[in-house]
Amino acid sequence: MENVLSILFCLTLLYLVVTSRIKTYVTILRIQGVLLSLIMIFPFLHHLSVHLLIIPIVSLIVKAIIIPRFVNKIVIDLDVKRIVEPSIQPFNFLLLSVFSMSVLFVSAHVLSGFTTIEPIPFASAFSAMIIGIFIIIFRKKLIIHVVGFLILENGILLFGTSLSAEMPTIVELGALLDIFVVVFLMGIVINRISSTFAQPDVTALGRLKD
Amino acid sequence: MDHLFILGCSLILIGAVFAVLVKPIQLALRIYVGVMSAGLLFNLAFALVNLVHLPATPLLFPAFPVLSSFFRLDGLALFFLLIITSAAIPAILSTHSYLNQYLHKAAAVRAFLVSFSLVLLSTQLLVLANHAIVFLIFWELMTLMAYLGLLLEKEKPEIQKGSFIYFATTHFATFCLYIFFFLLHSQSGSWLFSDFQLTQTSGMVFYVAFFFGFVGFAIKAGFMPFHFWLPHAHSIAPTVLSAFLSAVIIKTGIYGIFRMLEFCSPLPLWIGAGILAISLFSAIFGVWYALAQHDIKKLLAYHSIENIGIIGIGIGLGCLGMTYSIQPLIWLGLGGALFHTFNHAIFKSLLFLGSGVIYSNLHTRNIELMGGIVKSAPWFVGLFLIGSVAISGLPPLNGFMSEFLIYRGFFESASIFGGYFPFFMLLMTVGLAFVGGLALACFTKINSIMFLGNERSPHLKFTVTGLDYLSLGLLAFVCLLFGIYPQIILGIISSVVAIFQSGESAQTFSTFAQWNFITGIFAAIILLISTLIIWKVSRTNQRKSAAWGCGYAGQTSRMQYTASSYADDINGIAVSVLHLKSKVKIPETIFPVTSRFHSHAGDFSEDGLVKPIYSWIIGKITSVDFLSRTDIRFYILFMLLTVLFYGGTAILWTYL
Repeated sequence: MENVLSILFCLTLLYLVVTSRIKTYVTILRIQGVLLSLIMIFPFLHHLSVHLLIIPIVSLIVKAIIIPRFVNKIVIDLDVKRIVEPSIQPFNFLLLSVFSMSVLFVSAHVLSGFTTIEPIPFASAFSAMIIGIFIIIFRKKLIIHVVGFLILENGILLFGTSLSAEMPTIVELGALLDIFVVVFLMGIVINRISSTFAQPDVTALGRLKD
Repeated sequence: MDHLFILGCSLILIGAVFAVLVKPIQLALRIYVGVMSAGLLFNLAFALVNLVHLPATPLLFPAFPVLSSFFRLDGLALFFLLIITSAAIPAILSTHSYLNQYLHKAAAVRAFLVSFSLVLLSTQLLVLANHAIVFLIFWELMTLMAYLGLLLEKEKPEIQKGSFIYFATTHFATFCLYIFFFLLHSQSGSWLFSDFQLTQTSGMVFYVAFFFGFVGFAIKAGFMPFHFWLPHAHSIAPTVLSAFLSAVIIKTGIYGIFRMLEFCSPLPLWIGAGILAISLFSAIFGVWYALAQHDIKKLLAYHSIENIGIIGIGIGLGCLGMTYSIQPLIWLGLGGALFHTFNHAIFKSLLFLGSGVIYSNLHTRNIELMGGIVKSAPWFVGLFLIGSVAISGLPPLNGFMSEFLIYRGFFESASIFGGYFPFFMLLMTVGLAFVGGLALACFTKINSIMFLGNERSPHLKFTVTGLDYLSLGLLAFVCLLFGIYPQIILGIISSVVAIFQSGESAQTFSTFAQWNFITGIFAAIILLISTLIIWKVSRTNQRKSAAWGCGYAGQTSRMQYTASSYADDINGIAVSVLHLKSKVKIPETIFPVTSRFHSHAGDFSEDGLVKPIYSWIIGKITSVDFLSRTDIRFYILFMLLTVLFYGGTAILWTYL
């Protein structure tokens, strides 16, 4: 079941690569939040305890409800253009992503022979990290950068679950804290920048260089 | 009693808080000076009490044993705590009158006060640290806070340049220290200073660690090839900070070298000899460069290099003693070095704070523009003179006492070792005497040009506040006290040096000289001199006339003997080595036309060593400048590539 959910997670990633609408990005963030909390609820099903329930519920609330709303609010408040301006052909980006994902899946399979990892969640987690970074690299809009970081965080969270059924509390807290910090900082920064520059765009940040 | 230090440190922090929160800046400054000096007095008392009961090492925080294990109150740490606090109290007292000229820039003054108090705090905790990481944290904090303190007048370009040089150089030093401590950790498996032990049996690691440790600490201390940052930083710093920089912060390098001797023993003979050579070099060239300077603070900075050289000579002698475990030599070398460290902190603070008083009155650091100060502030000049006599190493004051111990060390090692040693020790003796002579020339130069003669630039009045007199007077008193009656501190030093003396019974200072006899002679000398002065002053009237008029009536105050001409003869001996340049334009017609003289003292290490290396590195870096983009996305791409590279290498390394 976890494997099925992980594969679904990977499919959302691929959809993210080809889409060019900001609305879709937010929807996919929401779907990923739901998928992640479903994946993280499995330890609870194996071993009933309240502690194991906290993280899935919190991540469901934060990842599936609060953060997408927040991103949406920024998009509406700042009147960002609703399409993504890619700096790479969508098809080339898809090829690159599929290639790196297949490399990750193969190497995860190879690694699972030596170590005690579950190959599919492991590879999907890594794919999410890589694609998050790719999105940051190949997109210009700052709001898309926020989404890229969030995808990266999702990958890290999934990575934690794929390594061991029970994450150390510190890792969980760290993951949750990271999200908050990134989103709030970027939100504040974008708000500030938008008062200075017309369109929030990373190329404009270059002018802040001393 | 146990809580004195904690109380003192909290008072220092409270002082920083007051400096930020109290609204009128004058009031904030006053409260700051009061609270800080109270805190420093507590810490001084703590150091003294624990030094007197020495072999016992109490815990720093009796209530928290785990926290206390990060700190160690052994003799060396407490002795340096004593040095720090006794140099910091006068500096804090002088802060009040020195900062008065900057009160219109309240924010900058508050920032300076906060960073100054953090410098004081981190320096004190640094010498007490027993854990390598804690040491490095306080080391960094001290460096950074001193850098922020340098930026009091950050709008001036020379200050930006000088503080950057300081910042870059000390960070290189910290980099070396990281390597040093990591090597020590990998050898001993512990982070605690008390567990560090490195012997020559560990092979190459011993030499590599010693090299990096020595370079790191020597940059901080300002030994000669590594000294280039020191004249820049000291001349631009606010004077109270440059007094503390010169008196204490460069001494943390000396502290580190002492700790290194503790970790890496026994040392091979050539390391001791190498330290001796590098120190003698620093001493001679430091004072020679000092003689060529016109900037009073730059001059004092070069004198710091000279005195670090003298301290280093003591350490080198101590190393020779430790190699062959000769107890008297260890005592004379290391004890002389410790004593000179203390003395230098005292008289260098006196001179720097004095130069600060001059700067806040005349607003210039150029010696050639001063003159005639003795008429407006005779007592101030007297105090400055005491500092000058002490730093030149003349008998009735403390500078002589520590150099005396080092001279005794030369003679001791010449007679103990035999062979070719008497010849080398003779060379060292002559070298040190030469240093003393040059220092004397240098200080006669500045005292005569700055204080005597007529005013070269007109100034309305020369004010020295009561707090200034208090701080300078305290320092001068300590100079006199330890010059005449050094027995007090020599007892303390004996118990500190006992750390380095193994096996046999610890040596006491009383075997080296008839101390009471010396005290008697010196007291007699002082009595004689003071009666002479009183007699002379009461009998002669002050006479004002043109200096060396030679019958020429149209003299101006610029037509006086200058510092450059005074120093020219001695500097002429080694012009090429010292990078001294002068441009003279002499009129060749009968009637007077415009003539010019310009002289400039470079620095062989800066011009010949640092700048070429720096420009080479800059050249290499600009060749990859195309990688520097304004777009954040490129940086994330670079990060991804780097991680992929390392990850790929690790996987290949593990599974192939």
